[in-house]
Amino acid sequence: MTLEARSLARSFGRKKVLEDVSATFPIGLTLLTGPSGAGKSTLLRLLATADKPNSGEIIWQGQPLPAARRALRQTLGYAPQAVDLPEDLTAREFGLHIASLKGLSRSDADAQFAGILEALGLLPDIDRRIQGYSGGMRRRLITAQALMGDPQVLTLDEPTAELDSESAAAVHGLVMERAATASVIMTTHLGEQLAPQAVQNLRIADGKAQPVG
Amino acid sequence: MTVSTVTASAFGADLLRYRRSASLWLLLLCAPVAARYMISETEGEGISIAVGGQLPVLTSPVFGIWLGIVVSTLVMPVVFIYLRAGPTRRQPWQLDETSPASRIAIALGRFGADAAIMMGVLIALSLAGLFLAWMKVTGPYQPGHILLLLWVVAGPTLLAVAAIRILFDAVPILRGALGDFLFFMLWMASIIVPSIAAENGSTFANNMASVGGAIRPLMESAPPGSESFAIGTSSLAPGRVELDPWAGIGAQGYLASRAGWVLLSLAIAALAGLVYRPHKSKARTQRFAWLDRLTLRRLLPGAAPSSQHATRAGLGIVPLVLAEMRLIASGSLFPLLAVGAAAIGLADDYRHAGSPAALLLLVFALSAHAGRTEARGLVALTATAPFHPLIRRMAFIVAGTVLSLAIAVPAMMVHGPLHVLELAFLTGAAASLAAIVLAWAARSPFVARITLLIGWYAYMAS
Ligand SMILES: Nc1ncnc2c1ncn2[C@@H]1O[C@H](COP(=O)(O)OP(=O)(O)O)[C@@H](O)[C@H]1O
Ligand SMILES: [Mg+2]
Repeated sequence: MTLEARSLARSFGRKKVLEDVSATFPIGLTLLTGPSGAGKSTLLRLLATADKPNSGEIIWQGQPLPAARRALRQTLGYAPQAVDLPEDLTAREFGLHIASLKGLSRSDADAQFAGILEALGLLPDIDRRIQGYSGGMRRRLITAQALMGDPQVLTLDEPTAELDSESAAAVHGLVMERAATASVIMTTHLGEQLAPQAVQNLRIADGKAQPVG
Repeated sequence: MTVSTVTASAFGADLLRYRRSASLWLLLLCAPVAARYMISETEGEGISIAVGGQLPVLTSPVFGIWLGIVVSTLVMPVVFIYLRAGPTRRQPWQLDETSPASRIAIALGRFGADAAIMMGVLIALSLAGLFLAWMKVTGPYQPGHILLLLWVVAGPTLLAVAAIRILFDAVPILRGALGDFLFFMLWMASIIVPSIAAENGSTFANNMASVGGAIRPLMESAPPGSESFAIGTSSLAPGRVELDPWAGIGAQGYLASRAGWVLLSLAIAALAGLVYRPHKSKARTQRFAWLDRLTLRRLLPGAAPSSQHATRAGLGIVPLVLAEMRLIASGSLFPLLAVGAAAIGLADDYRHAGSPAALLLLVFALSAHAGRTEARGLVALTATAPFHPLIRRMAFIVAGTVLSLAIAVPAMMVHGPLHVLELAFLTGAAASLAAIVLAWAARSPFVARITLLIGWYAYMAS
């Protein structure tokens, strides 16, 4: 059950964002830190199959990515920095739709989604339309859908941005629970808080990933 | 995971979003109201269909085919705008593109929802048609004939519009302005091509060439030897012509071509899943560069808070108009195209060459910038800019008008100023006003762009 990056490079136009990133992502929490604009989100997008590298490979369970993409997606949770949420659906309807896309059974997903939203303090709003959600509520909703289906690979981009410390702690709790059996890769500005519990801390800078500590 | 659960979920989610939107109910209400103006019996009051300058005798079958023809020609772009700019415009693509779900399954589900909305429109029109016919019909009242003829002509057209919408959503370059333009071209072709192809006899292949399928049944319904078929407004001659719509529908290969378009629509929707390409995530810095230019950089040069007041005071109306002009003309091709349009203005018939060329360029530039500034969420941001949004919108209109006049300068020197000045001023001001109002109402550039394109076509062709 391992995810591995080998010499990943990604540039936009002439701008080389990632030049040579190699890392393995074992079971447990991997923190991605580094200055803003360093390429943390870019790396996370590559790992979450939302983008393709210009060169290098991503390997899932010994198989390189285009071939292993479907297998990885089947057990992937991804919380991007922004999602075009369907404003006119309720959180529950949105969650069930995402569950169908992930291939989860609706009844299992419904119960699990409600449980996750409860842990994140969103249960009272589960049947409200998303258009009434605040920025912090949206962030938690995006995290919640990623956790559905107990993914083996969980990629989270700034899941605690815009959250108060209480909600951030709730997110951290769920993340650590998942990290017991899955590779969790997360970017966060609250790196210090989680560093002691992480299996590795990768600092992204100058197009490379360096282990810290 | 089965394909059918994904399809059902995509279908259900989109349908729910339509049902919850006031815009759907408005559309379903507008359809029958509009139907009243789709069957006009006097000149200039609405849409009339004329053969050899004469209106047809309004029998039940004629009611059905008349409505069908109007839907398949003039209503087609309206429903396309609705689907594309409507409640399902925003999809959580960041998530569905990284899910294991089959793109074909998603495309079919979304097509199903759009198709259901189209059938809703057709049901609303059917009810209106039945009512109008009941009041106005000549001869026996035959509801079955009205419905059958309406659905045979208009049903496949509306399904095809839904399919094209899904296909255009699947291809990155067709998600934006180019897709709108391509649809507009398709729509014009569907009206123009069949009237040429119709001369070549009624075969399955010839009839498949027309998505709308509106011209063939009209031609074949008319008495032999008829000439000049008009849909829209035209000057009418007294007297009535008798049409036989069943002969029109029964023309060789026509019914088969309508069935063909139903199947083709399904195939196009499935193809959309097959050719689907993910979105390219634009860098935030790029996407908001124009906003920085308009607000932050002017407001905070060097981000020194102390200089804020001085800059704010220095912001006058003229710099604001200039900034709007720069933003409207910000496309990389704009200068080149503007020079081209100005050069066309040197040609003889300015009203039909230079003026439409300049207007076409402005339609794209204006709707793009208006759509950006009026996008949901950004309105709040621009509200923090030093100007009231209403003043910014006025500046937009002035900027669009000035750009229109600027492109017309070479033409003024050749054709004399007054005539050119008047046309450039009126088209520029009208297009700018329409662009900002439509973009504000729809919170996106789609509606403004297509509406303006249709207006542009009417201007060019008249
Ligand atoms: N789609 C894109 N097009 C152009 N540039 C991009 C794109 N995505 C990211 N970038 C650029 O790549 C750099 C890294 O971005 P990102 O990965 O979001 O940084 P981080 O998440 O570490 O703050 C930034 O300079 C950003 O402008
Ligand atoms: Mg980031």
